Amino acid sequence: MAFSSPVPAAERLPVTVLTGYLGAGKTTLLNRILTHEHGLKVAVIVNEFGEVGIDNQLVVDADEEIFEMNNGCICCTVRGDLIRIIGNLMKRRDRFDHLVIETTGLADPAPVIQTFFVDEDLRDELRLDAVVTLVDLKHVEQHWDTEEVQEQLAFADVLVLNKADLVSDAERAAIERRVRAINPVARLLTSHNAEVPMQELLGVEAFELERALSLDPGFLVDEHAHEHDDAVGSVALVEERPMDMERLGSWISELVSSRGPDLFRMKGIIQLAGKDERYVLQSVHMLVDGDFDRPWKAGERRRSEFVIIGRNLDAEALRASFLACVA
Amino acid sequence: MAQATLVSERLCGDLQQPISAMAWSVDGEFLAITSTGGELLLLDFRAGCEELLRGDHDSSLDVVGFSGNGQFLMAAGQAGELLLWELGGTGVRPLAMDPIPLGSGWIDAAAWQPGGLLLAVAAERELRLWDGAARQWLDPPLELPGTIQALAWSADGVQLAASCHGELVLWQPCLSSPSDPPLRHAIASAGLALAFSGPGHQLACGMLDRSLLVWPQGCQGQPWQFSGFPAKVRQLAWSEQPGRLAPLLASSAAEAVILWTQVKQGAKAWQPEQLLWHEKRVNALAFAPGSTLLASASSDGTVALWDGRGQLMQPFEGQGSGFNALAWRADGRHLAAGDANGRWWLWPVAVPARERQRSSSGSGFG
Repeated sequence: MAFSSPVPAAERLPVTVLTGYLGAGKTTLLNRILTHEHGLKVAVIVNEFGEVGIDNQLVVDADEEIFEMNNGCICCTVRGDLIRIIGNLMKRRDRFDHLVIETTGLADPAPVIQTFFVDEDLRDELRLDAVVTLVDLKHVEQHWDTEEVQEQLAFADVLVLNKADLVSDAERAAIERRVRAINPVARLLTSHNAEVPMQELLGVEAFELERALSLDPGFLVDEHAHEHDDAVGSVALVEERPMDMERLGSWISELVSSRGPDLFRMKGIIQLAGKDERYVLQSVHMLVDGDFDRPWKAGERRRSEFVIIGRNLDAEALRASFLACVA
Repeated sequence: MAQATLVSERLCGDLQQPISAMAWSVDGEFLAITSTGGELLLLDFRAGCEELLRGDHDSSLDVVGFSGNGQFLMAAGQAGELLLWELGGTGVRPLAMDPIPLGSGWIDAAAWQPGGLLLAVAAERELRLWDGAARQWLDPPLELPGTIQALAWSADGVQLAASCHGELVLWQPCLSSPSDPPLRHAIASAGLALAFSGPGHQLACGMLDRSLLVWPQGCQGQPWQFSGFPAKVRQLAWSEQPGRLAPLLASSAAEAVILWTQVKQGAKAWQPEQLLWHEKRVNALAFAPGSTLLASASSDGTVALWDGRGQLMQPFEGQGSGFNALAWRADGRHLAAGDANGRWWLWPVAVPARERQRSSSGSGFG
């Protein structure tokens, strides 16, 4: 099931979803976004009115109400009140350039993300720019086992490791390794007081297919030391031989239909047999999107890289079924 | 009152921001227009003047309406507060009452009771009633399990319907006692639009899951369910002209407008007629009062007029911006429309005789 909009990305309004556990610094970051001289007029949707200390008419409140959608071949959850509030906001769109949505510390980010791909109006008027997750370096280990923390790490495109001034370098490095085991593809930023460069946060285009996988090239060949047995983790698959498109397609369909609720994000660049172009794909739970992006460059190492972030992943079984798609 | 005053040279005007809602007073003397910038313009046709009751506040107003007796004008929107004015009749400057904060988020659904003084306001998950006679809120509000997406009064002012995700509530607030609880229907998705028919008292509910529910006469029994719409069903309108079994019902989903006619009882009772013209989303639907003439306003920058058989009679073109809102004057001869560029329009409409077999008495011109 493709989830792209027929409307070109440039015509749609970019949206940043801001997540993070309680106390991670979301409000501080929001206030920075609202006061920063980035030349963008930013509208913010919050869940707790009055927390943001900036007098700005474009801070609006939304209920975190979850709607279950049964949309033919997919079932998923969306944030119902977001549809209503953004529908109202879009009638006055000329007044802002970027939308930021703050979620509560206890929220699962998936319904927010899915809202932008499933709702017919939002899909054609907005584009998800990135999911930014704030991590409280000082306290994250206390909450590590909560489902929300693991989901927020898993869904992130940008991970801001905040309060770096409150931990030692060794502590920070340990958390970084643990975070990386869950999410090897997100961009990592380190900050204190949520001070991060705005260009690393807004306009990231993490959900644009051609940028879906901007990996450190050497990263995937590192075998992760599975020192943590977190329920949420990642599996990185690399294959030098070209893949068969049909087999790969049925493997992914089968995977999302059987394991969809456990598969948070998948991203991949695939070398297909008989094709000179890279095939890129990504998914959020059961929503999958894929397309050819550009020809392989001369001298570029042609291979397939595929990352699965999810719950209770069986790395060996996934690797075997992935390899069965080799042409 | 001669119509000449209404159809003056001034047939359009401009607000600063996109027009969000429009409403006529029941007597047709006043037209109120709101914008997404928070402007509220009041046109007083008898006095031939206009007054900007509220300037650009950078906080959208999304719903506007006059009480049935013309005493109050209300507006609400982004700020989550209820704005009220007391009207003293034509030529008299409206008196602004203190804004009433509702402690809720964005308000986009509110409606006056037809023929009464109750104002229903959807404040997140609470359906609240303000009593214009006592000038106070009636307690307790009606709680719904989700954010209220739509509300509607029956034409006789007795029943009030509200919908959220998973539930549609029918309430008779004037009759209710603790032993007479509201009727709660489970629905499969979120009800985004609600409309009662006048004569037959049917209820239609447009759904997020691309379906439409229609409860038969008196809202008794199981609803018909129509599915297969190309998009969420966001606009509904019933004709005031009684049909053989039910009045005509119009629905819109994305750019698709469908005219529904009940042809028999039981299953497969309704016959759809697709009205082909609009190229973009339809944002408003309204039948001319007392007639089967339908107006549809679209983001494609046109307002189309249709006869009762679904034939396109006339398209109006604006200035290129999409149309957001429509409002018929009670006489059924004047149609107001507002666009996304802030321009409002007023068109005189000559309704063909066959669309108004029943004379529209009580149109307000004394």
